Amino acid sequence: MGTWQAPDKSLFLGSEDSRSQLSISAPFKSLPVQEEMMTKYSNLSLESHNISVTAAPFTSLPVQEEMMTKSSNLSLESHSISMTAAPFTSLPVQEEMMTKSSNLSLESHSISMTAMPIKENNKGNQICVDRGIMLQRNVTLEHSNMPVEKNITLERPSNVELICQFTPSGDLNSVNVTWKKGDKLLEDNYLVNATGGTLYTQHRVAVINSKQMGSYSCFFGEKKQQRGTFNLKVPEINGQNKPLITYLGDSVVLMCKCQDCLPLNWTWYGGNGSVQVPIGVPVNDKYVISGKHANETRLKITQLSEDDQGTYLCHAIFELGESEGHVKLVVLSYLVPLKVFCAIAAEVVLLVAAILLFEMYTQKKKKPSDDGKEFEQGEQLKLDDSNGIENSGPRHRKNESVGQ
Amino acid sequence: MPPPGGTPPPHPPPDGGWGWVVVGAAFISIGFSYAFPKAVTVFFKEIQLLFNTTYSEIAWISSTMLAVMYAGGPISSVLVNKYGSRPVVMVGGLLCCLGMVSASYSTNVVELYFTMGLICGLGLAFNLQPALTIIGKYFYKKRPVANGLAMAGSPVFLSTLAPFNQYLFNTYGWKGSFMILGGLLLNCCVAGSLMRPVEPKASTESKNKVGVRETDCSMKKRQKKLSVWEEINKYLDFSLFKHRGFLIYLSGNVIMFLGFFAPVIFLAPYAKDKGIDEYSAAFLLSVMAFVDMFARPTVGLIANSKLIRPRIQYFFSFAVMFTGICHLLCALAEDYTSLVVYAVFFGLGFGSVSSVLFETLMDLVGAQRFSSAVGLVTVVECCPVLLGPPLAGKLVDETGQYKYMYLACGAIVVLASVWLLIGNAANYRLLAREKKKSIHTKESQETEPLKTSQSPSVNIKSGKNEEWKGAEVNSSERETNI
Repeated sequence: MGTWQAPDKSLFLGSEDSRSQLSISAPFKSLPVQEEMMTKYSNLSLESHNISVTAAPFTSLPVQEEMMTKSSNLSLESHSISMTAAPFTSLPVQEEMMTKSSNLSLESHSISMTAMPIKENNKGNQICVDRGIMLQRNVTLEHSNMPVEKNITLERPSNVELICQFTPSGDLNSVNVTWKKGDKLLEDNYLVNATGGTLYTQHRVAVINSKQMGSYSCFFGEKKQQRGTFNLKVPEINGQNKPLITYLGDSVVLMCKCQDCLPLNWTWYGGNGSVQVPIGVPVNDKYVISGKHANETRLKITQLSEDDQGTYLCHAIFELGESEGHVKLVVLSYLVPLKVFCAIAAEVVLLVAAILLFEMYTQKKKKPSDDGKEFEQGEQLKLDDSNGIENSGPRHRKNESVGQ
Repeated sequence: MPPPGGTPPPHPPPDGGWGWVVVGAAFISIGFSYAFPKAVTVFFKEIQLLFNTTYSEIAWISSTMLAVMYAGGPISSVLVNKYGSRPVVMVGGLLCCLGMVSASYSTNVVELYFTMGLICGLGLAFNLQPALTIIGKYFYKKRPVANGLAMAGSPVFLSTLAPFNQYLFNTYGWKGSFMILGGLLLNCCVAGSLMRPVEPKASTESKNKVGVRETDCSMKKRQKKLSVWEEINKYLDFSLFKHRGFLIYLSGNVIMFLGFFAPVIFLAPYAKDKGIDEYSAAFLLSVMAFVDMFARPTVGLIANSKLIRPRIQYFFSFAVMFTGICHLLCALAEDYTSLVVYAVFFGLGFGSVSSVLFETLMDLVGAQRFSSAVGLVTVVECCPVLLGPPLAGKLVDETGQYKYMYLACGAIVVLASVWLLIGNAANYRLLAREKKKSIHTKESQETEPLKTSQSPSVNIKSGKNEEWKGAEVNSSERETNI
């Protein structure tokens, strides 16, 4: 990961060790500002450490102070603070986000785009500043000229860092960088940096609840606008793709599973058509909800009837939203396979009867001509009993001519 | 010439005609017997979910079915010896149907063990042994071809039953599928009805009487006095355990089966372990089954040729050795292409071994004693067949790699082949010596059979021997060992 550096000032780059103490350096001087809006923000809290950040002489906006740290293992409690650069405006501070309960982890995702033709070598000024520790967990770079999209699955509240990297073919400074959530233009909380001929923009989101989930896009305006999209989603639930076939009066177990996630709660909904009725609310014998592990849920339905047909939904509730899986149930009558069975049995009986009748018929045909031969055979066999093996030769010879 | 362990049949084997219909019937019976336990695994996932058990408990259904099929061998041998193949196969078909239909009504795993495992397994046993026996009764000259064709039923049925079961499951669920499969198994009755007995009923009584004089050196006139041992032997020929060739075959096979089936079962997991995706891994098994399907009749044809037929035991040993070497080389396979090559060669080896597996037994003991022999062989083979895969699985768990399991299996199979080779070489030599001896004794007009239990092999060997005067004597030799 890179170092975000302001031109004439001191910077501390924290180490990867989350335990190390970090103090954020003294005030920034005024930074040369580009056309773009920049915000810089500091973050980080370390274990059991309260840090307060002040940045002067930027704006007169104080910086939020609350930062909660909890005992964590290698996850950073993070706090988004935004400050606006002095020459700009006095933008109000972003909403503070407090993290209270669970450990937040910082995830970093990035997309890179390159404009064609090849970029020019452009010095580009360093325009962004950052300080502190960043624990980048996940950095992926994809090179493409088409709209680039990346899906990010989040289960627990965490800090997500979205980095877009763009190599323009023309002048770096002429590129307009914006971020959007859905269709709404984001005005702050992101940084832009230019190193070499590449433009980096980074947007950090503290995802606490479902409001922060959605689709974030970074736009690089050049001749043709380039766009990279990050889709923040909750994990998907796997139901059963193929319909389950069951019979009247039977029992069946429907299962929904989540691969690597642990939902807070599961609920089942059943319904014919559009009406979704929660199952198991009036607790009765017919429906039993259980689950061996937290990442799966099982619904056992007994005494199946025709009304139980349809699609069942298993709802998984996460802190950051909901997800559902589908299981389709089909209830058939027992007559359906029974008919097939009877058809096959009838075919078998017919064939066996035909074969045996054919055999009796051919035996009958043979019988009149066989009578004499049988008598001879009987004599030969008697001879065989009484004599020794010496007769085996002639006996067999005769048999050969007689038999078959 | 002392007669073989069995009796000279009243009719020589037809070697054609209705015999080919019987081969078709045996094809169906053998196909169901070998393929069915493996093909039902498609349903296990849903049953496991419904009955709330672990997968291994469900997988035991398949193992129980296979175990009962092998262990029921002696029972079906006794019944075949008494009643002939046809009624036994038809009863087997009915049992299978009953087992599967009652399995569709079961509510827990234990009931499935009983219905599917025990009843259905017994029904399959009643299909397998008689089907093999009747081939021996209908063929002699073309018996290896007939055996190869009939044994080809196993891969053909497996490759058709597996996707068919999947279709049934998608359309009818597991309950309906079990019921329909029960109906399908009734077709074994059709196969059974095609298995016309070779000899007409009039001669069966004399055959039974004649059968008594196997082990004893008593004269035929004393046949009325039967000892308990002889009574038992009338039903199930335990005297086979004194038969040298039989013992070599049995011991070699027991060693071989320890390492024979595990590579098949672990082929897909091995491929997945190497990073190959699920469908390509499953494709490996299809490749193997496909090659197997064509290898069996082809090898049957080869085994029937003038060059191989007299030395069929060596051919069997070499087929086993080929398979063993395949397993050893599989440990070197690193990528998908080499695994496909392995699958092709393994299919070839598996097919050639299976094709002559029962042919060699028939060759050793003769068709008359074959039904008892196959029963005894399957009940003894039950142990290594069942123990092999779990032991292999344990080896994989211990070492963490499939490579060592393949090396171990390959080594075991090669060892078995070496043992079979040496044993049969010694057996052939001893038989040649005994034959020379018996020529002298025959010339000296002795009527007592010297070593009845070895004579079948002797007679087979003498078939190619030109020392005998007259074709009639040759033909008698040939026939007596059937």
